[in-house]
Amino acid sequence: MRANGREVTIVMIEDDEGHARLIEKNIRRAGVNNEIVPFTYGNTALDYILGPDRSGTGSNDRCMLVLLDLNLPDMSGIHILEQIKANELTRRLPVIVLTTTDDEREIQKCYDLGANVYITKPVDYDGFATAIRNLGLFFSVIQLP
Amino acid sequence: MTSLNSLLRRTLVMFAFAVALLLGIVGSSLWLVQANREYSEETAQLRRLRSSIVAVLSTMQDAETGQRGFLLTNDPAYLEPFTKAVEALPERRNNLTANAASRPSYSSKLGALNEAMDAKMLELTHTVELAKADRLREAITQVGTDVGRYNMDQIRSILADFLDQTDKRLIGLVADQLSAASKLQWTTSAGAIAIFVALGCAAWIIFRYIRDLARARELVLKMNLGLEARVDERTEDLMRANQEIQRFAYIVTHDLRAPLVNIMGFLSELDSAAKMISTYVLADAKTLSQEQILSARAAVEEDLPEALTFIRASTKKMDALINAILKISRDGRRKLQPEDIELKHVLETAAANIHHQLAEFDGSIDIKGHYPVVTTDRFSLDQIIGNLFDNAVKYRAPGRPLRIKVEAHTDGPGRARIDVIDNGRGIADHDRERVFELFRRAGDQDQPGEGIGLAYTRSLIRNLGGDITVKSELGHGSTFSVTLPTNLGNNVTWRTDL
Repeated sequence: MRANGREVTIVMIEDDEGHARLIEKNIRRAGVNNEIVPFTYGNTALDYILGPDRSGTGSNDRCMLVLLDLNLPDMSGIHILEQIKANELTRRLPVIVLTTTDDEREIQKCYDLGANVYITKPVDYDGFATAIRNLGLFFSVIQLP
Repeated sequence: MTSLNSLLRRTLVMFAFAVALLLGIVGSSLWLVQANREYSEETAQLRRLRSSIVAVLSTMQDAETGQRGFLLTNDPAYLEPFTKAVEALPERRNNLTANAASRPSYSSKLGALNEAMDAKMLELTHTVELAKADRLREAITQVGTDVGRYNMDQIRSILADFLDQTDKRLIGLVADQLSAASKLQWTTSAGAIAIFVALGCAAWIIFRYIRDLARARELVLKMNLGLEARVDERTEDLMRANQEIQRFAYIVTHDLRAPLVNIMGFLSELDSAAKMISTYVLADAKTLSQEQILSARAAVEEDLPEALTFIRASTKKMDALINAILKISRDGRRKLQPEDIELKHVLETAAANIHHQLAEFDGSIDIKGHYPVVTTDRFSLDQIIGNLFDNAVKYRAPGRPLRIKVEAHTDGPGRARIDVIDNGRGIADHDRERVFELFRRAGDQDQPGEGIGLAYTRSLIRNLGGDITVKSELGHGSTFSVTLPTNLGNNVTWRTDL
């Protein structure tokens, strides 16, 4: 998976290590071999994406795709989504929300804030694996900046 | 307040008393009028009797005077009083008899009187006849026998006795009349005073009742005014509680689902690892490809232990979550035991509990000012203050000595506010509500914890009928404000009142 001739980094913000491991396994099974940078906390993830000063200047020449869990221990994923979409330099980064809730209002809120895809983590594993593998397909068609 | 029944009963008793007094006065007046009439009639009778006595006496004296004059002068002109008296006497005697007949003390002597008068008149007539017939000497001799004088004395004495009796009776009558009048006057005066007192009492009771009524009405009006505001307040509380329950359910389902996703996922991973291993183990005589052998090795070395570790961790996490929820729900259902608590004492005990940590971080705690005595559940209050102090220590700002300050205020009638002010790392604006949510934490995750403390604290405070809010500036410190009803019992009663 490349964009503008550069390798795309997958930024995975997920506090549950098990979920992170399962997501990674399934992404790999889908044949996506891009680098995955995992984060457990919102703060460190934002440091990585927007820089410690939250200016976003460091992301100018990087190609990233963000996998975001909404329920993080230190802050809400919604807040991270807001920050990414509010920054002129990062607002075009594709953000895929991956979470356990299927609350209609929450889904709507994420789309309103500019999330590109919202995926509910189903409890049955086949559904989960299928959703992640479909992501692989999605990665191949998505327009990356 | 006096009840309506008691008011009616008491005023009715007063009125009945007054009416009875009035009837008594009217009755006495009627009795006196009747008595007066009787007295008047008797007085008139007595006066008639008296005049008839006087008339008989004077007639008898006239007759005697006429006889004496005629006997002395032998001039018929002097005989005139005698003649007239003889003419008038029968009627006057009849009058006297008629008037005195009903009175035994008179009538018993009437016989003697009549006898004396008949004898006297006989003597007088006889002597006058003798004188007329020029037998003057015989007549004077007749007078000299003293029979006439004796009879006249008899008549005088009886009539004088009659007059005396009559006069005495008249005086008695007047005295009786006066005494009855004075008695009535006293009775009327006393009755009038009693009526005034009774009516005054009734008026006072009615006045008091009306005053109570007016006060009650005022209170009802005031309560009505407050009611609207209270209903709004309660509605807001209920809506907030409802939202919190929804949020709680949302968090719980989400957080319980997360480990489930793991368990299901790694079970599937176990399954596929088992397949690879079984391919290897059950190969029997078949030759296996290099890839099959590597997969089986990887499954045994990595996939199996990894899956087992995650399943175990997820199960543990679910257990921890369920325990946390149970704790909150159990403490929420715990029966509160209100008792009088010295707030200062609770604060000092909690401060002593964090003394070691404070010393370690060069910190200090300042509990100053006047603290009210609150009637509330001691266990809950200890937990609330303890949690807030622990948090202040836990989320201190690195690089500056920790300062904790506690202030208490009265927050409206029947409510106390406790502010716990620290100079710790503070809470960002967008996390201010989040810190109170179950399993949610804010800021750097450099301290151990599960995101239960403040959620638990808030649920304890709400149980006591209070609330907790936070004001904070990121990097400078936080102020947690706890408001509590000063009397838990009152608060509950007040609520059921509504």
